[in-house]
Amino acid sequence: MAPPAQSHRSPSPSQPSGKGEVSDLKSQLRQLAGSRAPGVDDSKRELFKKVISYMTIGIDVSSLFGEMVMCSATSDIVLKKMCYLYVGNYAKVNPDLALLTINFLQRDCKDQDPMIRGLALRSLCSLRVANLVEYLVGPLGSGLKDSNSYVRMVAVIGVLKLYHISSSTCMDADFPAILKHLMLNDPDTQVLANCLSALQEIWTAEASKSEEASRERDALLSKPVIYYLLNRIKEFSEWPQCLVLELVAKYVPSDSNEIFDIMNLLEDRLQHANGAVVLATIKVFLQLTLSMTDVHQQVYERIKAPLLTLVSSGSPEQSYAVLSHLHLLVMRAPVLFSSDYKHFYCQYNESFYVKKLKLEMLTVVANESNTYEIVTELCEYAANVDIPIARESIRAVGKIALQQYDVNAIVDRLLQFLEMEKDYVTAETLVLVKDLLRKYPQWSQDCIAVVGNISSKNVQEPKAKAALIWMLGEYSQDMQDAPYILESLAENWDDEHSPEVRLHLLTAVMKCFFKRPPETQKALGAALAAGLGDFHQDVHDRALFYYRLLQFNVSTAERVVNPPKQAVSVFADSQSSEIKDRIFDEFNSLSVVYQKIIVFQCSRSRPMTRTSS
Amino acid sequence: MLQCIFLLSDSGEVMLEKQLTGHRVDRSICSWYWDHAISQGDQLAPVIASPTHYLFQIVREGITFLACTQVEMPPLMGIEFLCRVADVLSDYLGGLNEDVVKDNFVIVYDLLDEMIDNGFPLTTEPNILREMITPPNIVSKVLSVVTGNSSNVSDTLPGATASCVPWRTTDRKYTNNEVYVDLVEEMDAIINREGILVKCEIYGEVQVNSQLSGLPDLTLSFVNPNILDDVRFHPCVRFRPWESHQILSFVPPDGQFKLMSYRVKKLKAAPIYVKPQLTSDSGTCRLSVLVGVRNDPGKIIDSVTVKFQLPPCVLSADLTSNCGTVNILTNKSCTWSIGRIPKDKAPSMSGTLVLEAGLEHLHVLPTFQVAFRIMGIALSGLQIDKLDLKNLPNRPYKGFRALTRAGQFEVRS
Repeated sequence: MAPPAQSHRSPSPSQPSGKGEVSDLKSQLRQLAGSRAPGVDDSKRELFKKVISYMTIGIDVSSLFGEMVMCSATSDIVLKKMCYLYVGNYAKVNPDLALLTINFLQRDCKDQDPMIRGLALRSLCSLRVANLVEYLVGPLGSGLKDSNSYVRMVAVIGVLKLYHISSSTCMDADFPAILKHLMLNDPDTQVLANCLSALQEIWTAEASKSEEASRERDALLSKPVIYYLLNRIKEFSEWPQCLVLELVAKYVPSDSNEIFDIMNLLEDRLQHANGAVVLATIKVFLQLTLSMTDVHQQVYERIKAPLLTLVSSGSPEQSYAVLSHLHLLVMRAPVLFSSDYKHFYCQYNESFYVKKLKLEMLTVVANESNTYEIVTELCEYAANVDIPIARESIRAVGKIALQQYDVNAIVDRLLQFLEMEKDYVTAETLVLVKDLLRKYPQWSQDCIAVVGNISSKNVQEPKAKAALIWMLGEYSQDMQDAPYILESLAENWDDEHSPEVRLHLLTAVMKCFFKRPPETQKALGAALAAGLGDFHQDVHDRALFYYRLLQFNVSTAERVVNPPKQAVSVFADSQSSEIKDRIFDEFNSLSVVYQKIIVFQCSRSRPMTRTSS
Repeated sequence: MLQCIFLLSDSGEVMLEKQLTGHRVDRSICSWYWDHAISQGDQLAPVIASPTHYLFQIVREGITFLACTQVEMPPLMGIEFLCRVADVLSDYLGGLNEDVVKDNFVIVYDLLDEMIDNGFPLTTEPNILREMITPPNIVSKVLSVVTGNSSNVSDTLPGATASCVPWRTTDRKYTNNEVYVDLVEEMDAIINREGILVKCEIYGEVQVNSQLSGLPDLTLSFVNPNILDDVRFHPCVRFRPWESHQILSFVPPDGQFKLMSYRVKKLKAAPIYVKPQLTSDSGTCRLSVLVGVRNDPGKIIDSVTVKFQLPPCVLSADLTSNCGTVNILTNKSCTWSIGRIPKDKAPSMSGTLVLEAGLEHLHVLPTFQVAFRIMGIALSGLQIDKLDLKNLPNRPYKGFRALTRAGQFEVRS
């Protein structure tokens, strides 16, 4: 998927500066401008193509504006199209020269050929020069009344473009009212759809300024309009269908009959070939039934198959986007998906993103009946070449172990991981074994026997090392050489770069000291001395605190450092249900595809500018 | 709504830029994207949040299609749209690569102009686009040389915009009316080291190539539609007849299209078996793989290949087979191409892998990816009953085919 080699990459791809070529083109265009010789169109076409190709690769050819406009008097449609393209690109930086183009564009707007009328009108509205708006109103007005639907379709979007250049001109010409009339009466559904999208944008933007606009905006969500659109939905092409469905998702039906009517009407949309339509339909279904618990559940059952099909068809990109939505639903209602767990098995070729989502889904759908199979599958991934996925799978096994009552088999599996002698597997497993012991202290005997065999030298990752040290402290009475391991760690204090590990080491030495004072005395002395001299503030403070506690009273110190513990029954969930609900409102929005990245981390730090287009 | 679309070459160069709204998107976003893409390697998500924009990206044949937006929108709308753009371009230009895009950028602009306006997708239906913008095929190139008229824009407006069947024009005429229906199935399966089928399902498509005059009305029925777990239709399929009788009733678009896609899950058997065996002993590992026909589908299984990636801890490998060829690339990926499975012997491959110094056993086991093709049968068991055609002047020719190939078919060791 990724672009191949880094060596190809240079910050700005090598391109000719184009200065010489541009002035060359300029003189050639000048020569052709007035010429009426036969075959002049062909030469023009070659030149135009060159100009556009320079424009395309990023060379500034705006200096040719005057010449291009002079050459634009032509009846050749290919030349016209290239000229429109050029003019559209550079009019904004050359407002004075853009005036020159108005004339020929306005003339083209009255051409016999509807295709030319449409193209000219589109280009005219794409100039986006504020002081030319007065020339737009006339052609737009007649475009909206054109007999050809292609021209009307272009004109409707033109109104929206005009609105963004100069909202007052657009409102003064009363275009929104005309659009509304078109929306409710035009036979062509694409015209209708464009009206809808234009009106939505215009009235939403105007709503803050006038009460009437805000009424109009709300009227789009009124029953007659919604029903009018819904009844014609099958005539719309796929993209406008998405637009209508998005609108319907915001509609609040008055009673449950209405809800069922809408769902019956839209049910076949779930089988549409376009994934965007399917997801928009699902969103409507979910939104409509939010307050009806039973029906909501049935909706889940109904949308499951279409979603799973969408995941297995289509390109990897589409699959991933759909899978993120499926992930959201699975997280919200894991029970409903517990029999579909095989769909979440990872395939070798899938990308890391897909596998990660699948692992999370496998984790939450695990229940008493499928745990064995799921854990077996996860263990396969742990032996996988793909290290990040191996890590994730081990974590997943751990999470399942923490969810389930019957953990026998799982603990055995985890302990087998430790025997695989792979650093990263050992590291991940140690962290999990620690969490498991906090929840199920009764497993300590089995675990400690295996953990005791692990040499701390083979564990490098801070989290894993901290976990190992925690276990050494917590179960020092069961681990024969715990004091001596801790002692050697304390003596090599300076080799330990992670403050987290040093903090754990201090606490572990203390715990060990309370249980086996004579053997630990030496380690404690070394650790406290090193801790007091530590440059890290927290480590230093903790060492000082322990030192003073011990000075004050050893038994008080024990009560503080090593109080009797209760098994942890529930770990704080990383993803609170409130956030899950909030993200659920955003079904079929970009945030679902990013998931954590946007909603959970960056939403506050990076305000996305909401533009009105 | 989308604000801008960029096409990037496989070296990150901007080949084409199409601004869609008044909010101009600076090209610098492309270099941000390119740096990001390189830093992420092959783990690039299809939707990315850059510091200034949301980016949609898909990569086809080395060309990156990049779309930017600053406002919230349905994610699949962006991704599906880009996929359609890629399909349409590849269809028009006869494939996708840097040169062909650069040679035809005017057509690409024209197409984009009709496919999206002000950031909202208009039409992506190839049949309609074809009538607005003539594809640059050889005939028109020859014509343009002869007549000097190389207009890519057809003179007429698409009839379909006014037609009540938006995917079809009314005035198609063929002297030979033909319609071909293909069942194309892909089998996805996972087989574990005990040889047990962990998961097996089929994703299938009904592909139709219709060359029929006028406005024909077709009905296609299956012998056993009840085996389908879930179905998706081309917009031309009428929903009610399917709902009540599982019959596909439709007015087809012209040419090649995907009428329906379906899924059949929980299949009980795969047509072939692949048995890998690895035994490690003091620094070397003995590998053998056996392949054979399991539940004989009654048709020839061909194009069989077995691919796998040797773990990084394998220093060298010496593999031979009694059938087909074994290829080991420098990146340690092995391909065993068997071709057709012979009747008289079972293909096998064996050899030794030398492990890194200090390693006694092979800890990381490869996954074997299997490819095969079976002509003449749809392994899901789906069978076409009949195809009826109405509204046609003369009797058309009807053709049916079926094909099953391996999708994600993997065997663990």
